[in-house]
Amino acid sequence: MKKGYWNPYLGGVILGTMLFITFLIASQGFGASGTFSRLTAQYLVDSDKSWLSNAYVASYFKHSDSALANWTVLETVGILIGGFISALLAGRFMLSPDKAKSYPASKRFFWAFVGGTIVAIATRLARGCTSGQGLDGMATFSVGAWIFMFATFAAGLIFSPLFRKQWVDKEDN
Amino acid sequence: MENLILPLFKNGFLSPEANFFFAILMGISFGFVLERTGFTRAQHIADTFYFRNLAVPKIMGVTIITATTWFILFAYMGWIDLSALFTPGTYVWPYFAGGLLFGLGMVMSGYCPGTAVAGLGTGKSDALVFLIGVLVGMFVYFNLYDMIMNFANSTKFGVVKIQDVFGGNNYTSYIVTVALEVGIISFLMFLQKLSNNGRN
Repeated sequence: MKKGYWNPYLGGVILGTMLFITFLIASQGFGASGTFSRLTAQYLVDSDKSWLSNAYVASYFKHSDSALANWTVLETVGILIGGFISALLAGRFMLSPDKAKSYPASKRFFWAFVGGTIVAIATRLARGCTSGQGLDGMATFSVGAWIFMFATFAAGLIFSPLFRKQWVDKEDN
Repeated sequence: MENLILPLFKNGFLSPEANFFFAILMGISFGFVLERTGFTRAQHIADTFYFRNLAVPKIMGVTIITATTWFILFAYMGWIDLSALFTPGTYVWPYFAGGLLFGLGMVMSGYCPGTAVAGLGTGKSDALVFLIGVLVGMFVYFNLYDMIMNFANSTKFGVVKIQDVFGGNNYTSYIVTVALEVGIISFLMFLQKLSNNGRN
């Protein structure tokens, strides 16, 4: 890890304790992907009520008039603020994308976008992302979380050669 | 197991409003730690898959070991009802397929939803583009839902914990979980040494 970032083991102890406290109080853990699913559903229903005939979209409006009145949605707002505060205090604001030096920024943005759409679809099948399914599930001994995490890691490794140029400069090997 | 007050919300000791306030507070802490540990950098996440930097799996593994250790201590003391904690149900094939897609999307983009939100807080332009992609992806999924509904809801087993598969109790699950995390981190560090292109 680059200078200035926390030691990973220390970071894990802090994050694990926070995850524990979150479960202790809210009875559930961290999440993120659901927020974007709910945002999209709310936007679609606001612009055209006929979206309520979509079974997936409708499931968000069963118990509430708003898809956004939800614990994870508010927590996600917090994540944005927390990232902002931490970067502010550390003097670590950065606009430019992460990539290998020689890799064109336009291609980097293209893959960030396509990757985002694929990740979104993946989270709907997996009922969560690395937070809501991975961390929360593994912390509560769920077998499904392990299936998801093993598949995620395996696919990351299998497909990594295709994206090597984006992440690794030739001179760094 | 009577008179347990933990977890607070499930046992009625916390109003929904207070819980929403707590959501924002914990989100802020989560986002703060994601930035401090370098999770907001797509490069750090992608580096995992090239064995250049194992901070991400190390943090995740230690996070799980720490959280489950707290759980098991509190359960042993009789302070918390572990079965009241929200646990996602298991859908075997959808989770496997979802994981494969997720891994592909992650090495492609260098983000997952939570880290991208914190990354956007730090100003990252690639995080913004990623999250726009996520919104579009949700739209695509809603449109495909009728077609894939059967698959998405297949092999549904409800909440399945490790002890339900291997027998035993929460302690069994705890031991298996810690062993898996320690094993995975050690194995990755071994692979990193073999590939010899990482610094630490």
